[in-house]
Amino acid sequence: MTEQIQSNPLREGLSSRAVPQPCSIVIFGATGDLTHRKLIPALYNLAADGELPPAVAVVGVARRDKSDEVVRKELEEAVRKFSRQNVRDDIWKTFAQSLFYHRTEFHDLKGYESLAERLKQLDKERGTRGNRLFYLAVAPEQFDDIVANLKAVGLNHAEEGCWARVIVEKPFGTDLASARALNRIVSASFSEEQTYRIDHFLGKETAQNIMVLRFANAIFEPLWNTRYIDHVQITAGETLGVEGRAGYYDKAGALRDMVQNHLLQLLCLIAMEPPTDLDADSIRDEKLKVVRSLRQLAGDMVTKNVVRGQYSAGAINGKPVVGYREEQNVNPQSTIETYVALRMHMDDWRWADVPVYMRVGKRLPKSATEISVHFKKAPPVLFNKEAVTIDQNVLVVRIQPDEGISLRMQAKIPGTSLRIEPVKMDFHYGTSFGKPSPEAYERLLLDAMSGDATLFARRDEVEQAWAFIDPIEEEWQAQKEKGLCFYAAGSWGPDEADELLTRDGRAWRRL
Amino acid sequence: MPAVAETFSLGAPVEIGRIEKELKKLWAQGEAAAMTRASLINLAVYSDEPGSLGKNTQLMSQLTEDHACRAIVIEADSTAKENIAEAWISAHCHVSRAGSRQICSEQLSFRLGGPCTTLLPSIVFSHLDSDLPFYLWWQTELPKKIDPHLWSWVDHLIYDSQTWPDYAGQMQLVETAKKEADQRIVLCDINWTRLDKIRAAVAQFFDHPGAHHHFQTIDDVKIAHAPGFHSTAVLLAGWLAAQLKWTEGRRDKSSLQFSGGGKRQIMVQLQESAGEPISEISLRSGSTEFAVKHSAGADLLVVTRHDNGDKRMDQRMPAGKNDPVALLSDQLMRGGVHAVYLRVIEQVRGLI
Repeated sequence: MTEQIQSNPLREGLSSRAVPQPCSIVIFGATGDLTHRKLIPALYNLAADGELPPAVAVVGVARRDKSDEVVRKELEEAVRKFSRQNVRDDIWKTFAQSLFYHRTEFHDLKGYESLAERLKQLDKERGTRGNRLFYLAVAPEQFDDIVANLKAVGLNHAEEGCWARVIVEKPFGTDLASARALNRIVSASFSEEQTYRIDHFLGKETAQNIMVLRFANAIFEPLWNTRYIDHVQITAGETLGVEGRAGYYDKAGALRDMVQNHLLQLLCLIAMEPPTDLDADSIRDEKLKVVRSLRQLAGDMVTKNVVRGQYSAGAINGKPVVGYREEQNVNPQSTIETYVALRMHMDDWRWADVPVYMRVGKRLPKSATEISVHFKKAPPVLFNKEAVTIDQNVLVVRIQPDEGISLRMQAKIPGTSLRIEPVKMDFHYGTSFGKPSPEAYERLLLDAMSGDATLFARRDEVEQAWAFIDPIEEEWQAQKEKGLCFYAAGSWGPDEADELLTRDGRAWRRL
Repeated sequence: MPAVAETFSLGAPVEIGRIEKELKKLWAQGEAAAMTRASLINLAVYSDEPGSLGKNTQLMSQLTEDHACRAIVIEADSTAKENIAEAWISAHCHVSRAGSRQICSEQLSFRLGGPCTTLLPSIVFSHLDSDLPFYLWWQTELPKKIDPHLWSWVDHLIYDSQTWPDYAGQMQLVETAKKEADQRIVLCDINWTRLDKIRAAVAQFFDHPGAHHHFQTIDDVKIAHAPGFHSTAVLLAGWLAAQLKWTEGRRDKSSLQFSGGGKRQIMVQLQESAGEPISEISLRSGSTEFAVKHSAGADLLVVTRHDNGDKRMDQRMPAGKNDPVALLSDQLMRGGVHAVYLRVIEQVRGLI
């Protein structure tokens, strides 16, 4: 931001964030689901809110033969269906003029040569000033062809004073070896500074608010350590099954799909030390230390500390649903986990002996993602004697839905006798602020356009996360079906997950 | 619930001394009806215009959809001979975005007349929601004599300098208030907020470093403003001057002149034209013209750049609405001390 003010004094005071630069956004996978559901609606919303620089061109790249006009029509339908705000014809008309389509096979060098020509032409026509943002909204198998060809035609480097960046969508590999291979592929054409690995969880308002909660308030940080915190729980539940993602999900599973990226990122934000400043690398350095401090789970440790489950038939909101193995396009003998619960420890000064319990699952009773910090009980004197059970203080950060923060504390029930019950102080974003938060992709696209990598994962973070996950996967591979627990759809997961906490004298928070 | 503000009723009349007790009763009834009270700020609105209580209640009803607050609406008539001190309580309820419950902001309304109007600070102080910031919106002209204690409580003073017949005199009173509060009060001029979208549209032309050389060569600015919005146009010119380091501002009948350093003179022509408060601004640098137009009633700005007469860009950006709810809502969304505005005030002193 400071840089922006120094360079454009007229921006001072108008925005508290870095301003996105004019650029061409080149989306590989233009006809895909992500582009239709998320990317183009996000760009439209930014345009409607006046956040997108007027000098932007969006070039969709895909294999099918289509004209600009046909693609614009398709994207208009998608935006009307998926945009968070109603589409206005006059805004759409102007926005649509910035949408273009370029057909090529991803392995065809000629297609990239003509893409380079087209981008130069757009620089002249649209004032995009030679800046390029490449978005790889395609399967990882296609990264190699795309980034190699971008390099071959020189699109990986911008001219002097301009920039070229690449956004890589998850999954960033399926294990450490494949993540390293992917990173090698990308880094052969783009430097780490040019590479933006997107994890849309980090674009959510409450995820960003975790750092504000911890470091803009003086009251929490002194308590944020092993002396006062008993344990931490992170839950990501969803009522949905695999829906249309069976092909991917039946290979990935909950651990790879959610824990390796989203949930470990949330853990990093909750557990990291204060960074020296808000620079992207200062924050990512601290996040990396958290993942590095995780006690490795391998061999027997996996059996003791990790529960994997798969949903069987049950009911969600009163409607019967089939079990995972009965889902369409799922292997009927699949041993893939749709639920995972972990007990983890961070071996560092702040978090020694504070377990972190993490659970993620499909077909759970509620769709909710939250982090709860459970504080130690008050000393067993006065109101907290043996005969009286007093709950712990719990600070909850709700990521989705109903973003907010709540704090549970004890209060006396009015009356002549002394009875104590937990009460909750509850802050809801939706109650306090009428204005809805932008979609995560809106924030992240703007950040990439303005060169702010804070909310994107760095190579070493991703690889370190895989280094933690791989031994668990390896143990499961060795165990095959043994150790896979089943839970009825609509329940909170297998009993073994409850036992994971029960044997520590704890219980999962009731959501 | 005695009064839900869609009717714009002032609600239930209460004795001033019993307001808090009556509020408790009101919320006890509200809980049973699945209503949640929310409040992020204290927002007091003061007016001495007759009939302002009803008008401001309607305004609060709309404003609280986006800004949960304790609203304190005051209508005062210091010319009344008799003492008048009446109060009402009501709630503005809106269905939350999640759609599951009603979110309510409470409103306390006061009609004061005669000598007791001087009791304003004591009435306001005793009804603030504790620990929340206090925004005071002074809708009419500031009187020369105000109890200085009031300023010690105000965090943000909101006013609209466009309505001031005597800009210099009123600004002096505002600055006195700020001084009495040890410079702690944040000045929030709605006339300045009115320029937010136009300023953003002008600023975006220069985001790319390749456009920065124009800062040294802009020499002609045209601003079209609606009748009555001369001060708005001068603030806009003052912003350019303050941020681009133009100095020695002078004015004549319909233009302002600034020095851009060396021999460069910048002429800012102000033209009165019916329509939006600022219907057009154009900046000329050599053969390049940067223009932002706001057609009457449109909610989009047309943003255009011409090079040697060739149009380079024609884009749409959101235009602000010139209505008090939208302007105040924008104002409340902003934090900080408005350092640029304070700089602009210095620039336009003597030009309005």
